Amino acid sequence: MWLQDSIDRREAVKKIFGLAGSLALGTAFAGPLGFSRSAKAGLKPSGFLVEGTGIHEGYSIRNLVEQVFEAAGGMGRFVSRGDVVAIKPNISWARPPQLAATTNPEVLKAVIELCQEAGAKKVRIADHTIHDARRCFALTGVGAVARQTGADLVFPRSSLMREMKLRGSRLDVWPVFSPLVEADKLINLPVAKHHSLSGLTLGMKNWIGGVGGSRWSLHQDINRSIVDLAHFFKPTMTLIDAIRIMTRNGPSGGSEKYVARKNVLILSDDPVAADGKAALLFGKRPEDLGFLNIGRKGGLGTYDFKELEQKKVSV
Amino acid sequence: MKARNLVRIRRISQAFFLLLFLFLLVESRLPQEAYQQYSEVFSTGENLGLDRPVRFFFQLDPLVVVTSLFSGHHLIRGFFWGVLILLVTLLFGRLFCGFICPFGTIHHLVGSLRPSLRSARRIQASQKSPGQRIKYFLLFTLLVSAVLGLNLSGLLDPISFLFRSIALALLPGVGVALNSLFHALADSHTKILNLLSYGAEILMAPVFGYEPQVYRMAWFMGLLFLVLLFLNRIRPRFWCRFLCPLGALLGLCSRMSLLRLEKDGEKCTDCKRCTSICQGAASPEPGLTWQSGECITCFNCIAVCPEDALAFRVGWFFGGNKGPDMGRRAVLGGLIAGVSIPFLGKLDGRAAKTTDARLIRPPGSLEEEAFLTLCQRCGLCMKVCPTNVINPTLGEAGMAGFWSPRLIMAMGYCEYTCTLCSSECPTGAIRTISVREKIGKPIRIGSAYVDRGRCLPWSGNAPCIVCEEHCPTSPKAIYLKKDRSRSREGKQTEFQVPLVDLKQCVGCGICENKCPVRGRPAIRVIAAGESRSLRNRILL
Repeated sequence: MWLQDSIDRREAVKKIFGLAGSLALGTAFAGPLGFSRSAKAGLKPSGFLVEGTGIHEGYSIRNLVEQVFEAAGGMGRFVSRGDVVAIKPNISWARPPQLAATTNPEVLKAVIELCQEAGAKKVRIADHTIHDARRCFALTGVGAVARQTGADLVFPRSSLMREMKLRGSRLDVWPVFSPLVEADKLINLPVAKHHSLSGLTLGMKNWIGGVGGSRWSLHQDINRSIVDLAHFFKPTMTLIDAIRIMTRNGPSGGSEKYVARKNVLILSDDPVAADGKAALLFGKRPEDLGFLNIGRKGGLGTYDFKELEQKKVSV
Repeated sequence: MKARNLVRIRRISQAFFLLLFLFLLVESRLPQEAYQQYSEVFSTGENLGLDRPVRFFFQLDPLVVVTSLFSGHHLIRGFFWGVLILLVTLLFGRLFCGFICPFGTIHHLVGSLRPSLRSARRIQASQKSPGQRIKYFLLFTLLVSAVLGLNLSGLLDPISFLFRSIALALLPGVGVALNSLFHALADSHTKILNLLSYGAEILMAPVFGYEPQVYRMAWFMGLLFLVLLFLNRIRPRFWCRFLCPLGALLGLCSRMSLLRLEKDGEKCTDCKRCTSICQGAASPEPGLTWQSGECITCFNCIAVCPEDALAFRVGWFFGGNKGPDMGRRAVLGGLIAGVSIPFLGKLDGRAAKTTDARLIRPPGSLEEEAFLTLCQRCGLCMKVCPTNVINPTLGEAGMAGFWSPRLIMAMGYCEYTCTLCSSECPTGAIRTISVREKIGKPIRIGSAYVDRGRCLPWSGNAPCIVCEEHCPTSPKAIYLKKDRSRSREGKQTEFQVPLVDLKQCVGCGICENKCPVRGRPAIRVIAAGESRSLRNRILL
């Protein structure tokens, strides 16, 4: 409860006075190190992969999101009544949505609404942005989404970066953006785009926005860093926004020239599969992406799609 | 009106304007609730600006208006407020000093809460002294220097001084202290303390922001501010009486004031209470000549007089007041200093010959000489900058540009679609630009260059594309080339190495800011190539 945070002042005041109540409820609090990740356990990955495509002119994104989740068994399968859900979009850059540098706000809005309909107690949007967070919130449209849906938009700040043990092959202790690990369910909601070092930035790489510290040094071994982070965060599911994809000049972009409209959403509980499927949209083979290779070998998931329950929907 | 009511009104007015000043100062930042509809900014090319009139006090300040006009031949936005103050002063004296000026109010408060001087010593301290001519000297220095093209008024202008001191030193000081407290609480293992810190942080964020901004030179500004407050122990309203150039300007204007203090020498019992409480050391007691130029119209004297020997009257005739006692030396000295300083400022050759590579001005800044005719060094651009990149200069702009803004990429970077500093600059030293102009033209503030010895891939140490990744232009100004190098063990490795395309680079500095080589990054931005200067261009 105490993590609930919005950038609305009146809301904040209200919450301070509500704090006493939340004390009694006793939210699980983790110390700086040795954090137990109990919350997200319990959902056994069945290995599903849903690809939703908007084929009709003027289709509704909300409808597409709904259909995609329906094909995976409905949002109710993932989000239980009373859950605190953290959503990690990619809103790193203060760019308007049409430049495909950030997660499509309409997709985000639909996912939040589905969570709320499934009975989520609280939905939080959390991303450690690169540009100034206020400008990112405003320009990406995520601020407007938070306001419309009532979701909490967590302001990334150093006091919320908690040093945790990642126990990865490359990263040991690293400051983590705590709202992402202090939730019952975690949804990874990246946008699909080009990246000059890792090839693409999809779901797994999105976790670089989930940590603080000297993120710029992760690039020296980017693939293993990505896999370490993906192992640590293990989201309930990954929904890749490929409504628009950025094909060049990524990850910041800046021109609609390099934006392709794909009208695709990919949902999976397997982080490797989701990224592998999205890679195909760029004409890349999953095995060509270093982080997918390492991820697969490390048992994070698979891009052999036949092993998964595959579904396709279209609206 | 009863004298005591006048004092009451004055106090209410002082409190109101001080609070308004502080409110506008706190509001001089991108609000936490910057929730604009996403489509707006790009489709209309509109700026993500501020809702509050945070420039108001600078517009209200006649010294800012007058020096901008003299120096930059530019009427600032909202200049009529300053003109209005001048008119009021012409008619009724220094009402601005007594009723409005927030810096004056702070001195007034500090001097009266616990006055260090009592009885005879206080009377002694509030007698008119020749030192009060210093402010006229300073005023003439600033005005003459402004006419000759160097506008230094902001260094001593009370509004700029106060804004700078609070926005860059006091507020960040408290912010840093609170932030470290919150961090300590957040790291604690006691749950109630964690809760407290989160709550307090959210409550404080509208004032201090989530991450406190910090500024170079701030310690010195803060120290100077404290010294000025301390001087109230020696003389009440020390700043206003001896130093304030705006007070001197208004003092000159009040020569024609219709408002005058009438003294009844017969009623006077020579108790000297009026002198003791006089804020401006304007000789209110009967027997001495009232100094209209020194009187800050606090109306204390008429309120305190037990015999009703003093009264303010509005007379419908001009020229009845004694002119301000400036002293010939103060005027002459001011003229000489004012003529000398602009030329002294040019002695280091920065304006005419070389520019400091580190002098990266905010986007939209005028060409250097024009910039120095208008910049108030008020710190508003530094306060509004969301990334904290704008800092006061020390020597980078020479003596003439002391405390003017420059971008330090170690502190932040210029955000590609942000134009906040340009839209809020009170005098137009940074002219208003739109997002469309900034990225379309583009407006360059400098150029990046790679230091290959430091660069991780260039030096064969590790792969890294962080600068390229962050580069905001399209196509990116930083592009990558495959480069093979041999490790010391003889193994061939292939790295992508960064190169800068100067035609695309705008000098925003995000590459320097994010470079993993800290302290002295492997990619750095220098002022060369800035589009505001013809002389400083690189490419033909």
